[in-house]
Amino acid sequence: MSTLHVVFKVAGNEYALPAGDVLQMESFTAATPVPGTRPWVTGIMQVRGRIVPVLDVRKRFGLPSVEHTVDTRVVVATLGERAVALLVDQAREVLKLEDGQIKPPPEMIAREANGLVKAVAQVGPRLVMLLDFAKLIGEE
Amino acid sequence: MSSEGRVSEFITGFLAEAGELLALANSSLLTAETSARGGGASPRAVREAFRALHTIKGLAAMVGVEPIVALAHRMESLLRAADQGVTRLTTDGIDALLQGVRAIEQRVQALRLGKQVPDAPAAILTRLEAIEAGPAATPAPPEAHLDLEPALLARLAPMDRDQLLQGLAKGLHALRADFTPTPEKAAAGVNITSVREQLKARVEIVKVIPVSVPATAETPAGLTFAILLLAAFEPDQLAAFAPQAGLAVRTLSAAPAPPPAEPELELEEEDTGARPGVVRVEVSRLDDAMERLSALIVTRHRLARAVADLAATGVDVRPLTRILAENARQLRDLRAAVLNVRMVRVSELLEHVPLLVRGLGRNTGKQVQLVMDAGDAEVDKSVADRLFPAIVHLVRNAVDHAIELAPERRAKGKQEEGLLRIFCLQRGDNQLELSIEDDGRGVDREQVARRAQREVPQTDAALLELLCLPGLSTRDQATTTSGRGMGMDIVHRIAVDELGGELSMTTRPGLGTRFTLRVPLTITIVDAFSFDCAGQRFVAPVSMVEEIIEIDPRKLIRGPGKGAGLVQRRGEALPVLQLSSIFNLTSSEPATRAMVIRRAGEATGIAVHRMLGQQEVVVRPMEDALVRVPGVSGATDLGDGRPTLVLDLAALAGTMLGKEAA
Repeated sequence: MSTLHVVFKVAGNEYALPAGDVLQMESFTAATPVPGTRPWVTGIMQVRGRIVPVLDVRKRFGLPSVEHTVDTRVVVATLGERAVALLVDQAREVLKLEDGQIKPPPEMIAREANGLVKAVAQVGPRLVMLLDFAKLIGEE
Repeated sequence: MSSEGRVSEFITGFLAEAGELLALANSSLLTAETSARGGGASPRAVREAFRALHTIKGLAAMVGVEPIVALAHRMESLLRAADQGVTRLTTDGIDALLQGVRAIEQRVQALRLGKQVPDAPAAILTRLEAIEAGPAATPAPPEAHLDLEPALLARLAPMDRDQLLQGLAKGLHALRADFTPTPEKAAAGVNITSVREQLKARVEIVKVIPVSVPATAETPAGLTFAILLLAAFEPDQLAAFAPQAGLAVRTLSAAPAPPPAEPELELEEEDTGARPGVVRVEVSRLDDAMERLSALIVTRHRLARAVADLAATGVDVRPLTRILAENARQLRDLRAAVLNVRMVRVSELLEHVPLLVRGLGRNTGKQVQLVMDAGDAEVDKSVADRLFPAIVHLVRNAVDHAIELAPERRAKGKQEEGLLRIFCLQRGDNQLELSIEDDGRGVDREQVARRAQREVPQTDAALLELLCLPGLSTRDQATTTSGRGMGMDIVHRIAVDELGGELSMTTRPGLGTRFTLRVPLTITIVDAFSFDCAGQRFVAPVSMVEEIIEIDPRKLIRGPGKGAGLVQRRGEALPVLQLSSIFNLTSSEPATRAMVIRRAGEATGIAVHRMLGQQEVVVRPMEDALVRVPGVSGATDLGDGRPTLVLDLAALAGTMLGKEAA
């Protein structure tokens, strides 16, 4: 069994979400800030007529912010009724990952990522980290 | 959360579900009937019908509609017996069950109309019971009911007797028509066979018994035929169907036939069932139309923006502007038309309140007179749906907590019967004011303060705030109907948070309390002010803003708190909050305008940098937990494809003042 995954980059590392959970990807223009939200919530944007929160993955990981570039993307992913746009440095690849490639995360990565990485996949020389989207958006 | 307290809220749910369940019971029974006709059985259909009736029984018990419980119970019991093979479900049994479904339907309908629910028809209950008991154990009452001489009765097979009794139970007339053959009649072609044929088309002939009688002039053959039959019409009409037969008709039941309540109900149903020129529409279709209209309005904003951009380049856009203006008017008319379709009368919304009050009165032993006046007021379906639970809470509180028992009222010199008034009026073109008023004991400030472990509030508004704290109860003991909390937090949440309205209260010790809900008539599209604060654009519903004032920054008296200040307005000090401070936005220039809102009866100004305009906006909810913050009720698209926050200024002021106090 293999599953298509959307791969994106944050601070030089590669992360992935199952393509089935991704609604769309687009370049980031702007989000409307919403006062009073968590620091990693950049704001809201409109996706297919729906209001969707934009979550800055860098900030969520406790990494310093960088200027947005032409590469900056939002990956809109869904979980049940919820849809959240993830603000990432780059997203330009869809990978087919075999079940056998996916392994539990090494303890160091698991700890560093605050449990937000639920598995890793070895793709040739690259290590792709599978995000725990539910945990990322605060759904325990 | 206490489930026992939510009884009456189930009524609406019950009505909705009962319809579906009854339809399911009907179709399952019809399937079972088809199998039974073919001599087989359909255990699955029987089980499905059983489950449907079991659920109906449970739901009916929750809302306390005894007649439905009684009917469903009997039917459930028969179906269970059939399912377990104790009783074989014959077509007759299924017929009785279908009759039971019909009777339940009639009672659900009565409930829906807010009418008195008639008792369960005894005839149907007896019939069901008899069928469940089985033919061998057909209970005794029958003989007593068939008014037939013993000699004839003895010649009836038990099956025939049952058929007659069941006919009676169904509300048919059990009759005995005596036909006496004579040579004259025979010459005219009238004999027992022809009479039988003539009657068969009109009635259910159960048995024809030849009876020997003394030969007289009237009975030359010394023979007469007793035709035992079931007819749906009055006995005296029977003779007309066989005019030459000279039938002597007698009724076999001494007891008066069916309860008169049934035909009455049928009439009522006809009254409301098919109103000419009325179409029932699913709400989802209305929502769909609204959604499309919303998209159109967003497009119009984009168009207007594009025209403005074009004008900025020096192009003459006057013809376009004229079209835009016309388009705006048409959209407004269209919007009004669509909104109009979605409007439901408040009087309809209140339809179930009498039943609710009756039930509450019965449970608490209080006498309550309900006076309702909704006038012609109408609200959007989505508002009505949200408003109803709030009304239920307030009505329940009034009966449960406020109105005293008769002896206590008498002792206080009040009418024994408590008075509960519900009235509403439309304010402006987008606000409904609905009040629920009782003449009960009033809210006890000290007690509420003690329960909330706060200081005794000095004003009704402050008292209401305490009442709306989650989980607060003013009674030591939970009552069966109100549970533990008063649910005022829920009422507050509905009126203020969900509907963007207001909740207020006035109470006088010993005299009564009035709660007033002020809610918008529609919520999806609102007329809003747009404004700029520290470079970010926001909108806020016009209905919340009392006035827009200019602020001279030099005359603003700064208070000790962050961002709060005072300005003079018509000789009075008006507290002003800086929106930029509430939102932690930084700006080099001072705010020059303030929107005055009223919160808990007190005017407060919210200062912003620039007012931009006023327009209709489509409010989209912001449901995700990541962006749900107090003071922001949703977002809208002003035509730039980016969301603009829709602010709830009153809630904002509330959070700000809360922060100051903390």
